[in-house]
Amino acid sequence: MNAPVKSFANVSIAVLPPVARLNLRIAPANLAAASAAFGLPLPTKIGQGVVKNGHAAWCLGPDEWLLHAPEAEQAAIVADFAKARTKAPHSLTVISDREFTIAITGPRAQEFLTVACPLDLSRMAPGTAKRTLFDSAQVVLIRDADDAFRIEVWRSFFPHVSELLDIALREFACGL
Amino acid sequence: MLLINCPYCDDALPELEFAYAGEAHIARPADPSKLSDEEWRDFLFIRSNPRGLHAERWRHIHGCGRFFNALRDTVSDRFLTTYPAGQPRPDVTKLEAAE
Amino acid sequence: MNDYRIKGRGRVNPNRPVRFTFDGKTFSGFEGDTVASALLANGEHLMGRGFKYHRPRGVVTAGSEEPNALIGTSRGPGRFEPNTRATMQEIYSGLTTESQNKWPSLKFDLGAINDRLYMLFSAGFYYKTFMWPKSFWDKVYEPFIRRAAGLGRSPTELDPDHYASRYLHCDVLIVGSGPAGLAAALTAARSGASVTVVDEQAEMGGTLLSEPSPMIEGQPAWDWLATTLAELAGMPNVRLMHRTTAIGYYHQNMVGLCQKLTDHLSDVPADAPRERLWRVRAGQVILAQGAIERPMVFDGNDRPGVMMAGAAQTFLHRFGVKVGNRPVILTSHDSAWHTAFDLADAGCKVAAIVDTRTDIAPALMQAAMSRQIEVLTGHTATATGGRLRVKSIRVNPVRGGTVGAARTIACDAVLMCGGWTPSLHLFSHTKGSLDWDAKAKAYLPGHKTEAVHIAGAGRGLWGIAAALEDGAKAGADALRDLGRKAGAATYAVTGDRTGTGITQKELPTDRSPGSAKAFIDFQNDVTAKDIRLAVREGMRSIEHVKRYTTNGMATDQGKLSNMNGLTIASDALGKDIPQVGLTTFRPPYTPTTFGALAGYHKGSHFEVTRKTPIDSWAAENGAAFEPVALWRRAWYFPKAGEDMHAAVNRECRATRQSLGIFDASTLGKIEVSGPDAVEFMNRMYTNPWAKLAPGKCRYGLLLGEDGFIRDDGVIGRMRDDLFHVTTTTGGAARVLNMMEDYLQTEWPELQVWLTSTTEEWATIAINGPNARKLLAPLVEGQDMSDAAFPHMSVAECTVAGFPSRLFRISFTGELGFEVNVPARHGRALWEKLMAAGKPYDICPYGTETMHVLRAEKGYIIIGQDTDGTVTPEDAGIGWAIGKAKPDFVGKRSLARPDIVAKGRKQLVGLLTENPKTVLVEGAQIVLDPKQSKPMRMIGHVTSSYWSEALGRSIAMAVVEGGFDRMGDTLHIPTADGGSQAAKVTGCVFYDPEGDRLKVE
Repeated sequence: MNAPVKSFANVSIAVLPPVARLNLRIAPANLAAASAAFGLPLPTKIGQGVVKNGHAAWCLGPDEWLLHAPEAEQAAIVADFAKARTKAPHSLTVISDREFTIAITGPRAQEFLTVACPLDLSRMAPGTAKRTLFDSAQVVLIRDADDAFRIEVWRSFFPHVSELLDIALREFACGL
Repeated sequence: MLLINCPYCDDALPELEFAYAGEAHIARPADPSKLSDEEWRDFLFIRSNPRGLHAERWRHIHGCGRFFNALRDTVSDRFLTTYPAGQPRPDVTKLEAAE
Repeated sequence: MNDYRIKGRGRVNPNRPVRFTFDGKTFSGFEGDTVASALLANGEHLMGRGFKYHRPRGVVTAGSEEPNALIGTSRGPGRFEPNTRATMQEIYSGLTTESQNKWPSLKFDLGAINDRLYMLFSAGFYYKTFMWPKSFWDKVYEPFIRRAAGLGRSPTELDPDHYASRYLHCDVLIVGSGPAGLAAALTAARSGASVTVVDEQAEMGGTLLSEPSPMIEGQPAWDWLATTLAELAGMPNVRLMHRTTAIGYYHQNMVGLCQKLTDHLSDVPADAPRERLWRVRAGQVILAQGAIERPMVFDGNDRPGVMMAGAAQTFLHRFGVKVGNRPVILTSHDSAWHTAFDLADAGCKVAAIVDTRTDIAPALMQAAMSRQIEVLTGHTATATGGRLRVKSIRVNPVRGGTVGAARTIACDAVLMCGGWTPSLHLFSHTKGSLDWDAKAKAYLPGHKTEAVHIAGAGRGLWGIAAALEDGAKAGADALRDLGRKAGAATYAVTGDRTGTGITQKELPTDRSPGSAKAFIDFQNDVTAKDIRLAVREGMRSIEHVKRYTTNGMATDQGKLSNMNGLTIASDALGKDIPQVGLTTFRPPYTPTTFGALAGYHKGSHFEVTRKTPIDSWAAENGAAFEPVALWRRAWYFPKAGEDMHAAVNRECRATRQSLGIFDASTLGKIEVSGPDAVEFMNRMYTNPWAKLAPGKCRYGLLLGEDGFIRDDGVIGRMRDDLFHVTTTTGGAARVLNMMEDYLQTEWPELQVWLTSTTEEWATIAINGPNARKLLAPLVEGQDMSDAAFPHMSVAECTVAGFPSRLFRISFTGELGFEVNVPARHGRALWEKLMAAGKPYDICPYGTETMHVLRAEKGYIIIGQDTDGTVTPEDAGIGWAIGKAKPDFVGKRSLARPDIVAKGRKQLVGLLTENPKTVLVEGAQIVLDPKQSKPMRMIGHVTSSYWSEALGRSIAMAVVEGGFDRMGDTLHIPTADGGSQAAKVTGCVFYDPEGDRLKVE
């Protein structure tokens, strides 16, 4: 899905193409097995992210990770984890279709998100991610850079969030 | 809107991300069938409802997803501390002395 | 028309005239004027009528505390707002305003008859008057009160404006941009802290805007103000927000701000929000809100032209408007003397300064003398004259407590000052204590509950030098508390106007106090004698006095009236003020629009509307929708000319006879995964799970620990260690939360994890005798024969080429399947099935048909046939309980005495005697319809439909001892006084043997 990019000078909004998206639940003691299966050292502190060779992982909870990878690799990743299951019990659930990803970029991106994000974004470092609320929708907010964010939102909440972003974009563009 | 410190995230975060989950330290009996009707009633329904310090459960439902416990003053709404589920209720006098 | 504008004075722009209307008449003012200042410039003081007595009222203040000059403003179609304070509404070209609470006109108002009927409207009026007779309440009293109640008229059209909201985090939030706020801002901002300064006015500067004469740091006050604002505006760490009111102060330094963006513009940019609500989280808050001037309480103090001296000073300096040519000053505080001097210097003939005090600073006396202003010290005011405008004031000397002979002074304005009340409303929101300061005769901030500092007049300080010094100190204190270093700057001020004063109860009079109309609360028309009456009638607490008299309960929350009311009440009670107590201020500080509070949540965006991957197809194909939890679901698919009834009957027929297709994507789905998954399922659900083989599914029932039904759904075992759990649409989040709760806090030793997959899958239900014929050719990887894939099976395979989890289950009683595919393929699969189903006249159906078909089979809907007090036995599904299991959530409760007691309400079927009668869902059930009211109700109808398959109506109901009443006739009284008879049956109305599930 490639919706047209909407933007004005300081903020751009784009719906990103699908990725292989997986929810990993595993006891921290067994994390090494999961890191080996996914091919990167999974971060151990909530919020932290690691990106390597096209794979990305963010720690969302004490035993929960969000994994991203190219779509074409999804089946192989699921198979690799399945091999590790008996020795390192875990749950790996494909959620590629559960969410849409919206990219919000530009010099005023951080300020733009304050229309509905209650977090103090100045304290959110690039490379981190956290589950939070955006307006009344639960989202995972990923910060890629000072001026680049992603919002992962459940599919059925997408129209609400998307419409709100459009309203806010028009508001920012009008300058008041 | 309160800021609540999630003991798992180690961060004070907006109340919007959290859900209240009732009084803390009421463990489900290991074998409910051994309980008398009165004991089971008390487990189900009887709560302390104090004016003042209350040990209660919260869930960081729109965050890390963890249930945890908190000591909160029901008069001022102030959280004295939060702590992971399964830990004993902290000693209040020590907490206040530390402040 | 007299022109009261003074050339060369004020901060309005004389080069930009602005025309607006008030009550249909065109007025002109300048850019920078408020409606109040522009009307005053035209000599108009009369701006409204009193609430109860309809007495003529003029503007009293120059700020947001204004109680009288409340007007309706129209900014175009749909943009009418009542009760706007004329002192806050800026004028712009094309603004239309009107006065309120008058008929037929502001100058001649018939409602003023109430003024002669004082006894009807005194304190406790409603409580006393409308007691008797009781029968009058509905027909006479309530309609009368409703008509008379309220201020202004409500807008009737939809609000076309946009509203916005923001979150903001900053180190220091400063409320108020007077000298204290600005000094605090400079200190904090220069240290590098992020600083936000808010002020409700259109222009920043606070008191400085009304006090141009002092010199600050060698600059005239206004030059210093401009320099300071420019410095702050140039700093990237500073945000200055004017027209922004701090409306509420909440826990942990969260302050709500309402920012007005367009109400002052004649050309509003498209997409511009009218107002924006800010939720600010500040490290430190500095409240520099100043003080509010107290009126004097005396007979006739509400006549137009009687106003606060400080307001007159503001109108003079900020707007270049003199409020009269011949004002009298009535004061007990030095500040009003300076107003007199400024007015005299601007060319007014100040008729007199009347001060209740006898001891006046010599400098003030000299300054008055040099301007040839008559001074009357130790005097009281006992009346005013005039009708629509004050023409005179009656003053008397007071000597040794005795009021002497009266003297009448002609005037066209009375400028009063009864002292100053520190503005601590926001501080009060935090439950910070207010301590009585006997010296200042004011409540001052005491114990703090938040990281807050109060600076300037808000803590009883007086004068610009003191405010600057205190503000700078507050800024430094805030920085220190943030762990930053800062020194407070000092400011050299010359020409400062310091002063003192006293406060008092109603002024002494030589006339009968009982006939004096000495107003305390102008907006709610509460007088001094109302307060004394309340005390006489037994009110002891100030909270009771407030409610009995309504003092301070108007939209201004008693900003002018609370302290005067308290002073008089304490005098009547013979107690000291702090012993009488203080009423509580609550948010919002000033009236706030619903629009601002709603923000973006209006119209189609009012709340989240969740849509399935197939929703767009339903919309394109004419579906009617219904809301289910946050979802919108296709309700039925009417064809041309069909009503709901016809459409649902057709959908039911098609599904029972051939093939129906249904979007079940909203069903909650939870992946339960891990080595202990089966143990976890055994503990959570009532059913046994150990023997359920992978590839099979089972109806699962979930109870609360209290034994009552919470949720249900079909659960498939995908692997030994993996279950695909489905929940009800509305229960999805609740069930997951409940499961997580048990898993995390009761059984953390279990190795099992839960993941919501509700939205990963699109779910399409295929039902009807031709369901297999449709699906089988499309399925790869699964033998679809009845033998290989019997009822209650699940398989991973492909359907129409899409990877799928295929269930053979039925919620209709027909041969049924549910196909789950990754959500992105949902619509494509639906369209392929629609195309492939053409030979079978495949019929899309909605939730209504789903409800009818399941009711024909007696399948319950959680939350419709159950209500949180229904056990599995009550619902007739005791078979779903694994009786051999030692424990599961809710098991112990099923043996509680009241759960096993006789006479519980049980779910039964009802067949009406008249087969055409469809009972109303929710209707109460009785044994004898002829019994006297109130009838004993033994249950209610939970589900009721027309069954097309049976050619008659069917219903389900919960009935006391229902299982023992099989075959009995019960009665359902109807709203028209009649009653319908129905026979109790089992719940399975259609195909009781279940043969239709077994279609080969």
